[in-house]
Amino acid sequence: MKKWLLYLLIALALYFFPWLFPSSYYVHMAQGFLYTYIVVAGLNLLVGLSGQLSLGHAGFYAIGAYVTGLCTVAGVPFLLSLLLGVLICAGAGGLVAMLSLRAKGPYLAMVTIAFGLLVEIVANRWVEVTGGPAGLYLPEAKLFGLGLGTVSYYWFIAVIALVVTVLIDNLFTSRYGRTFRAMGNSEVAAATAGVHVRNWKVLAFAISACTAGLGGALFAFQNAYFNSDTFTFDKSILFLVGVIVGGAGTRLGPLVGTIVIFLLPQWVQSLYNYHLLIFGGILLLSLIALPEGIVGGIQRIFKQRNQYSGTPSLPAPDSDGPSQMGSRDGADLNVQAAVMEFDGFRAVDAIDLQIKGSEVRGLIGPNGSGKSTTVNMLSGVYVPTKGKLSWKGVDVTSFPPHRMAAAGITRTFQNLQLFHELTVLENVMLGFHLHYRKGFAANILHTPGFLREESHFRAEAMRLLQFVGLAEKAGEQAAALSYGQQRLVEIARALATKPDLLILDEPAAGASLYEVDNIVRVIRKVKDSGIAILLVEHHMEIVMNVCDTITVLDFGKKIAEGDPAFIKNHPQVIEAYLGGEEVTKLVVG
Amino acid sequence: MLQAIVSGLILGSIYAIIAQGYYITFVTNRTMNFGQGDFLMLGALVGLTTLGTVTSAGMNLFVSVLVTMVVVAAAMAMLGWGLERGAIRPLGHVLSVGWILSTVAVSLMIRNIAMLIWGRNVIPFPSPFGNEVYRFGSVGITKHEIFVAICAIVIMACLFFFLNRSLLGKALAAVAFNPDAASLMGINPRRMAVLAFALSSALAGVGGILVGPITNTAFFMGATLGLKAFAAAIIGGLTNPLGILIGGLLLGVIEQVFSLYSSAYKDASAFLLILIVLIFMPQGLLGKKVKEKF
Repeated sequence: MKKWLLYLLIALALYFFPWLFPSSYYVHMAQGFLYTYIVVAGLNLLVGLSGQLSLGHAGFYAIGAYVTGLCTVAGVPFLLSLLLGVLICAGAGGLVAMLSLRAKGPYLAMVTIAFGLLVEIVANRWVEVTGGPAGLYLPEAKLFGLGLGTVSYYWFIAVIALVVTVLIDNLFTSRYGRTFRAMGNSEVAAATAGVHVRNWKVLAFAISACTAGLGGALFAFQNAYFNSDTFTFDKSILFLVGVIVGGAGTRLGPLVGTIVIFLLPQWVQSLYNYHLLIFGGILLLSLIALPEGIVGGIQRIFKQRNQYSGTPSLPAPDSDGPSQMGSRDGADLNVQAAVMEFDGFRAVDAIDLQIKGSEVRGLIGPNGSGKSTTVNMLSGVYVPTKGKLSWKGVDVTSFPPHRMAAAGITRTFQNLQLFHELTVLENVMLGFHLHYRKGFAANILHTPGFLREESHFRAEAMRLLQFVGLAEKAGEQAAALSYGQQRLVEIARALATKPDLLILDEPAAGASLYEVDNIVRVIRKVKDSGIAILLVEHHMEIVMNVCDTITVLDFGKKIAEGDPAFIKNHPQVIEAYLGGEEVTKLVVG
Repeated sequence: MLQAIVSGLILGSIYAIIAQGYYITFVTNRTMNFGQGDFLMLGALVGLTTLGTVTSAGMNLFVSVLVTMVVVAAAMAMLGWGLERGAIRPLGHVLSVGWILSTVAVSLMIRNIAMLIWGRNVIPFPSPFGNEVYRFGSVGITKHEIFVAICAIVIMACLFFFLNRSLLGKALAAVAFNPDAASLMGINPRRMAVLAFALSSALAGVGGILVGPITNTAFFMGATLGLKAFAAAIIGGLTNPLGILIGGLLLGVIEQVFSLYSSAYKDASAFLLILIVLIFMPQGLLGKKVKEKF
């Protein structure tokens, strides 16, 4: 329990701070530091983990401050107002996330900027309520009837900051943190593992809006007075600077980042005429010299990845097949006249396809024949323009990827989509997404039930890794593996969702001979356990060896279907691959 | 009302000029200068000083305006070159949002330097053409606004010609489309990135000269204008210069029309507009939808 000892030490240091620096100036500064830290820590969750961007966090900061402030002015007890403020911020965060769901990159940035500026404008101009630039005077913060003086208010903030730190740290090391990170790395891969990406984005936004609101409310009561000048676009940028310079996605980053954005300006304040110059210069230098932030850079130097688990001990190799691959129902897929058009171009033209039971179906065809598009349709990444997909009697035509995964169809990717910031083991654990039962509260509090579940799925994931022959790589970062190994990790992750139909999109591309053998072995085993496989592959040797039936596409149309021997000698297939008579003539002359 | 629309179009065309700067750099190497507003501020202040110097040297009005624009464009292009070399290229692509902060950092420094040189106060920027107002029916247009309109048309025409017709413009487009293939064809993507930033900064500088007499100048003037121009670019669709032109004009008009009813929420209208546009068209009005391939 080294962690708890650390927290205890921090708590003691925070408690004794007012005696060590017995001046209201320093206590004031400590208050400011702590509430800024709360905001940055929450924003780190959004930017560093879930890979989204907010340039409007000053808006949430303002909402927290105003809601809490106005409620207490109206006579609501301080603690209740604080809770209200935080909850309303969560709602606002969710709303902003919903508004910006389809927007990406600079467009997402613009939505958050617009939100932040709108809040700023309202705060500035709605003078009757907010007081505008003239400000809002608040009653003293009271806790159960007890007024909080400078020092006791500092302790109050310290307690909250500590609780927030513990909770966020727990979130980092729970499956929630893992899912956020996975989503930030590859949205589509997270979706095919069953993650409802939209809801998770909204959740990430809501959490980080909560903390921003909390920070804002604590700021508001610091002097029992605040005005609208605080909530500017520059403030939003400042919070983001804290996250990035500290080290986005690292657990200590926000602390270091807050030192940079809060203490540094205090220090250079005496150079008022030059402080933007100095701040800008330091920011620029740190971005260039430490692109992963201060903490990220230090971690890189010491190679100390904050892993909460080393390589767990291998389970006894009881059998070659992991338990989650017990007998499955097998596939029942029926594709009827599916069409996929892009701007009038028919990539897939009225394909019919039936996959039943636990067969291995090959899907081959020359480049541009529509294989990848078919795979994208079957896994829910694209919705067919026309036609119907039914799965086990249910119409799944317009299912998004996460619902396909829940229904039992999942896939791997031709251009690898591993969660490169996660370890190999964590990648596979993410595959179990649909099978976790413990909710948010258990995860953020690290309850015994949560810990049991984690170790259960860690063992399961280890078994899967052992099955694909990568057990000894479990603790490594996914990005560090070779091409073929990464493909095996993708297969293991896909198996973790417990599918009935597994779509393998060119699993042998770039794999070494040894890895190809391994992949073929895995495919056979998977088939034996009752899972159907749709195999898209260019390696004819593999296709002819492992497939029961082969479907051949050319120019988006199905040109042949049958067993390997039949396909090998099919004239149209040969023509598609080698060219027809005219081509032969052209070549030969 | 008509008056509001006309002055909205004038203001909007300035937004559009600045916003084209976002477009050029974004399509070339997927970055933008978030400090475009402060570059504009610097352009306005340098322009003011240059204009003062040139006119007091007794030069003809039109010549001096032309000289000012050339000087500002050249100075800002140099600065843009420095920005790319100093704050964009060294970042690499480790963090996708690093460039936002690095360009903001540069803009903070520029703001500070401008404050040291030109002071903290708002400096009036008298239009070189005086304050004469022409009346067309109920609509009054100042000489300066006519100048802005002409400049906007000329700049847009040059820009469209440059981007679509000239070899260099085609090279920029090639880098935007596929930097690897472009470099195999002998185009240096890095040089193109520098060119894009120089061009973008020059546009901001010229925009500053145009907007100066309308808003007056101060070291803090840039932030809002930069954001509005960014909003214009996003509304129109970052990948489409025509869309950006429309976005800029739309934004200008809506702002001016709203300010008829309630000047207090003039600024809010711009950002409400952008939220509404992005909810229904996440790629902006004329932005291209990209179907991701897996």
